[in-house]
Amino acid sequence: MMVLDMTFWSFLALLGAIVPLLQLGGRSRFVRALSVLLLLAGSLAGLVVAGVCFWQNVPATLRLPSVAAFPISLTVDRLSAFFLFLICSVCLPVCIFSTSYVTHHYATEKARWMWALLSLFILSMIVVVTASTGLAFLVGWELMTIVSAGLILIEGDSEERIHDVYIYLLMMHAGAAAVVAAFFLYWPYAHGLEFDAIRSASVNLPAGMRTAIFLLAFVGFSTKAGIIPFHLWLPRAHPIAPSPVSALMSGVMLKTAIYGLVRFGFDFLHGGPRWSGYLVLAAGAVSGLLGVLYAIAEHDLKRLLAYHSVENIGIIYLGLGSSLLFLANGAPHWANLALIAALLHTLNHAFFKSLLFLGAGAISHSTHTLDLEELGGLLGRMPITGAAFLVGCCSIVGLPVFNGFISEWLTFRGFLYGSNLTNTAAQVALPLMMGVLALIGGLAAACFIKVYGVAFLGRPRSTEAENAAEAPLYMRLGMVLLALACILLGVFPLTVLSPLASLAQILVPGSTAPGEIYFISRVIPWVALTLLGALVVMRAVWRRQRVAAIWACGLPGLTSRMQYTSTAFSKPLRSVFVSVYKPDRTVSRLPTEQPYFANSISYRSQRTTSFEKFLYRPVVDAIVAAARQVGRLQTGNIQVYLLYIFLTLVSLLVCLRFLR
Amino acid sequence: MTMALGAAQVLILILGAPLARGIIARIKAWFQRRQGASIWRPYAELGKLFQKEDLAPPTSSLIFILAPRVMFAAALAVAAFVPVLQPFALFGSVGDFVLMVYLLALGRFFLALGALDGGGAFGGMGASRDALISTLAEAPLLLALAAVSISARSASITGIVGWTLRQNFFEISAVHILAFAALGMVALAESGRMPVDNPTTHLELTMIHEAMTLEYSGPSLALLEWAGAVKLNIMLALLISLFGPWGMAGSLAPAALGIALGAYLLKMLVLMALLAVIESSMAKLRMYRVPDFLGVAAALSVLAVFFTMIAKR
Repeated sequence: MMVLDMTFWSFLALLGAIVPLLQLGGRSRFVRALSVLLLLAGSLAGLVVAGVCFWQNVPATLRLPSVAAFPISLTVDRLSAFFLFLICSVCLPVCIFSTSYVTHHYATEKARWMWALLSLFILSMIVVVTASTGLAFLVGWELMTIVSAGLILIEGDSEERIHDVYIYLLMMHAGAAAVVAAFFLYWPYAHGLEFDAIRSASVNLPAGMRTAIFLLAFVGFSTKAGIIPFHLWLPRAHPIAPSPVSALMSGVMLKTAIYGLVRFGFDFLHGGPRWSGYLVLAAGAVSGLLGVLYAIAEHDLKRLLAYHSVENIGIIYLGLGSSLLFLANGAPHWANLALIAALLHTLNHAFFKSLLFLGAGAISHSTHTLDLEELGGLLGRMPITGAAFLVGCCSIVGLPVFNGFISEWLTFRGFLYGSNLTNTAAQVALPLMMGVLALIGGLAAACFIKVYGVAFLGRPRSTEAENAAEAPLYMRLGMVLLALACILLGVFPLTVLSPLASLAQILVPGSTAPGEIYFISRVIPWVALTLLGALVVMRAVWRRQRVAAIWACGLPGLTSRMQYTSTAFSKPLRSVFVSVYKPDRTVSRLPTEQPYFANSISYRSQRTTSFEKFLYRPVVDAIVAAARQVGRLQTGNIQVYLLYIFLTLVSLLVCLRFLR
Repeated sequence: MTMALGAAQVLILILGAPLARGIIARIKAWFQRRQGASIWRPYAELGKLFQKEDLAPPTSSLIFILAPRVMFAAALAVAAFVPVLQPFALFGSVGDFVLMVYLLALGRFFLALGALDGGGAFGGMGASRDALISTLAEAPLLLALAAVSISARSASITGIVGWTLRQNFFEISAVHILAFAALGMVALAESGRMPVDNPTTHLELTMIHEAMTLEYSGPSLALLEWAGAVKLNIMLALLISLFGPWGMAGSLAPAALGIALGAYLLKMLVLMALLAVIESSMAKLRMYRVPDFLGVAAALSVLAVFFTMIAKR
């Protein structure tokens, strides 16, 4: 397929060179506008390429001239095509949104960098998911980290922000080190880093090496995915990025980690060690539960959404984990089902999470705040944004006829089939995971009732919210496109499910397309029709509503301050799960000698997660202490350094003597 | 014909819901040595509300109008999952219990949004409290249904009911007893009955469901009340069909259907009497005791899932 290859390569060239060069080098406004148009057209072309590769299963390949021993090449196989489709279908609406966002938020100089880096960021993610050699993968992986850090810094470079970006870079590189190690452990067996060689070398890998590679890949990719306890960077980095960038980071960048895990766990290692499923399941359950619990306690919209990314990656891990468990227990049919569930949730999460982050961007554009306590009543003021955001909320909660439901349903079905396994531990663990997933779903519902109810409904809680105006056209367009995708996938899931089933058959050899995907695709349109029909019939009893004052216990002067706030709403749940939050509360009354007749009472409640205190602090302290010990070698005396050189020389010579 | 009967079952669940409420109220009145209102009074109340005008708060949006309608539509869709007279329901074989539970969640989600749209303090209070209860009720609900479904080796409600029908009542396993207890407790919480919520209260400190519907009036309120009644009815019918379906019609013969209807009404009456006894003899739990109540339900449902492994050997 020459046409396909050509389109793909010109798309990559566009992203990697033409758009950034036009942006940074272009003198006139026209050239810069042209480059944005090119970016949009390119994303559309990429979407077409990905669509053809994913639905028709046509591979596309590019071999670059190999540099010395390190060949770099890109191949779009079925798995890559799926992730390429995910990236392009989110990037297109996000770029449309950005056209308005960038012009309203940045001066020319920053806008240029924003577009140039955005284009490179998209390129880096595409390189990661289409790489067919380890080196290409790692180049893309590193570029992705650096460029996204640059994009975060566009918004500003205050002390606090730089600190957060520093933590982001640090953790990303710790994770990248594990990924690099996972690749290079293959070197002795595959004699190179081409994926084909790695794949064939995996077949007769020693058991210990298999375990080591799986664990390294798990740690490395989980750091990128934000799995607890490697999530520390996520709620710091996502909220401070510009909204379209947050949408891409949360919606797409995290998914490259899922790609990596699927590539390693399924494509290379065919399931890894026998217990790998339990590890992934446990990580998913912990991340899902803690992620959503931390989210409920937040009232900064973007931080809250960032914690929900932790939760949703947890749900994806639940699907992957059960798939690995089925694989280890010789049940490829159900492994296929669970893998489809995980991959579909990956796509769904990309859609609704980027939609919600774009919604947050629109809110901050109109009200200049993301604090839920300052919002309220936005639906009447920003109807299109409000409607799109509602679709996003329903999807993330997993309500029927929205896309999130389909993937959660498939995950549930996977767990249910766990009861048919012969291994007792798996037989008990999998059905009980249904309870965990149900609790996650319930908590997510509570959280998004809070988000939508406090931000969009009721009365405005500040003058900014009261004077909010609808977001500009292209912002709305970007959000509406994503919302439509959420509804479309929710009502007609088979469009994506049937190619996904073929993909899962490649990754899980010996399996067939599970009947569940046809089952759910048949019933959901009927459910949607029933709901819609009932709503239409009920228009008959719809009467014009007369506006009347609300009940205020018979007293006048009801103000918006009397509404439930975000903090008040989550109070019952926070009290029930107090052992998770462990809040640090201090109450001080003044004057102190009269506690019952205080003039002023100040109350302060702070949450620090136990991970920072008990996991990261000791590690950081140990590293600093070790560095201090090593620092003793550095005396600053030239003679001592000469001695070091001499000793190194002697020891190398001794080594050579004995190695011969 | 089967389809027509399926539609008739939905109508029984929807149209019979106010009657169920009326009967429970009557039995409760009898316990309290009162004469009590007619069992048909809920219909009269719905009729009255449908005649009245619909009031909306000054700052409310479309969600306020939409919420009761979505809630009712969701209840209607859920009603199509539950077999009543025969082991068949419109969505019973094409949908499964997970879909049913999530449709219930759809209704709840919009009801809570509608409550928050009022712009007063009570709506938020109700929504916040309801969020606590429904969040904690979801896991035991799904696990209890999963336990039954694992025993029956079927995920669809009709499949489970068909399997149970073939079993002997006296050989019922521990799984069913545990799941029944868990599901019964969840049913109380889901439909807002004592000891979780008091459906007749109007005291600010104790309102949960009532606080959410406080700003509603006229047809909107009627739909909310009706949907609430349907939800209770569905929960009771679900308990009957999952744990005591014996008597359901195996064929479409009028005699068999007549027996099935009689058996259904009888079982319904027993459950309603049980509910009335519980409501008359128990005080409402303090809100922060409700998590313990649902914790017991969760523990029972986890045990039920564990027992499915033992029962199979």
